[in-house]
Amino acid sequence: MAPKIKKDSVVVAVGTRKGGFLFHSSDRRKWSVAGPFMAGQSVYHMILDPRDGRTLYGAAPHLAEPWGPAVYRGRAGEEPKPTAAPPKFKEGSDLAVSRVWHVEAGPEKDVETIYAGVEPAALFRSRDRGDTWEDIEWLNYHPTRKDWQPGGGGLCLHSILVDPRNPKHLVVGISAVGAFESKDSGRSWSMENRGVRAEFLPNKYPEWGQCVHKLAWDASRDGSMFQQNHSGTYHRGPEGGSWTEVTKGLPSDFGFPIAAHPHRKNTAFVTPLVGAGNRVVPKGQMAVWKTTNSGKTWRRITKGLPGPNAYLGILREGLSVDGEDPLGVYVGTSTGQLFASRDEGESWKMIGDLLPPILSVSAGTAR
Amino acid sequence: MLVRIPPALRSYTGGEDEVVLDVTDLPGILRALEASFPGIRDRVVDEAGRRRPYVNVFVNEDLVREELSSVALKPGDIVHILPSVAGG
Repeated sequence: MAPKIKKDSVVVAVGTRKGGFLFHSSDRRKWSVAGPFMAGQSVYHMILDPRDGRTLYGAAPHLAEPWGPAVYRGRAGEEPKPTAAPPKFKEGSDLAVSRVWHVEAGPEKDVETIYAGVEPAALFRSRDRGDTWEDIEWLNYHPTRKDWQPGGGGLCLHSILVDPRNPKHLVVGISAVGAFESKDSGRSWSMENRGVRAEFLPNKYPEWGQCVHKLAWDASRDGSMFQQNHSGTYHRGPEGGSWTEVTKGLPSDFGFPIAAHPHRKNTAFVTPLVGAGNRVVPKGQMAVWKTTNSGKTWRRITKGLPGPNAYLGILREGLSVDGEDPLGVYVGTSTGQLFASRDEGESWKMIGDLLPPILSVSAGTAR
Repeated sequence: MLVRIPPALRSYTGGEDEVVLDVTDLPGILRALEASFPGIRDRVVDEAGRRRPYVNVFVNEDLVREELSSVALKPGDIVHILPSVAGG
């Protein structure tokens, strides 16, 4: 029988092409594994709700692929079940949710609220932990929607940021449409793509159409953000406005995930790939790149990571951090390895191997 | 009308593998199933009313290839809802 998940242990929720797994550890040295949960399903995302440290949410098809999308809910360590209903577009829209890409916990003090990002790109909010859903219409039926084009992974809404200072402040990312920001709980939205390149469009700096790959709050808690894009890596300051490209110092302008340090401002991690045409780590050496100055400079870290001759990829949700001190950082690969660092990303150890391709990694603490 | 329920959807029907319904067409079956087992309709068709890819509906042994809304049923027909083989 698998060991139970102990209170205060670090839990790394790993969504794979064939189910979800929970890696858990009290000391981040010796890890136990629970699962698979949602066995056989493509688990696009799975999180331990940071507000209670007990509830697990998953994004996967309903029991088997043909039966449509679902959000799962359960107690961490037990088999989660589909909630009463999946997110759905309003009647008459002629749109239909085909996949849930991302589940995000709502505000700290509003423990019943969760968000879901779906394909085709849309944002839904549930105020009852996933049993019923609110269609965020101002965004989901935006006047530009008819011209939205999917990125390589589909037309998906994959990044949802809820401002810890102000729950009405939301930022979302859609491939290949861009970032949207709301300061009134989703009733109105602005496109926030100034300064972000769209290398694949005739106009390299359009109002929208940029292929955002992932967004993360900077720990400064002043609204600053990091962005990994199809065309570069970016930081945006507290006053909003234009993004600053901070790709210089990285081996390429292409990668999927970005994770920010939750306590140390200006600090983030990325895992660049060769490029859009070859989505593997450069030179066959896996590396995590770290900045401590909002991307002005980057440092390549390879200690404990595989290479040379390691031609693996890291997907959009494949990088996460826990909240511990020193910080734990986790990377899952498209070839089924899970790497962990318990020293702020400075050195790494493989804690999982021979898993199905890893679609998502999300770290938290059990309570 | 007898409707055979696939294993993946029996969580909705309390484990029942078949359901008898008093209806005359396929949309009627979906409405009646939903009325008795809320949520089950979403698994067969999406919110725009389109049959989900890789979900097949058979009337007796005949695969329904047209829109579900255009199919009438006769007394004694058996409707099967099944995942397609989707393999190779």
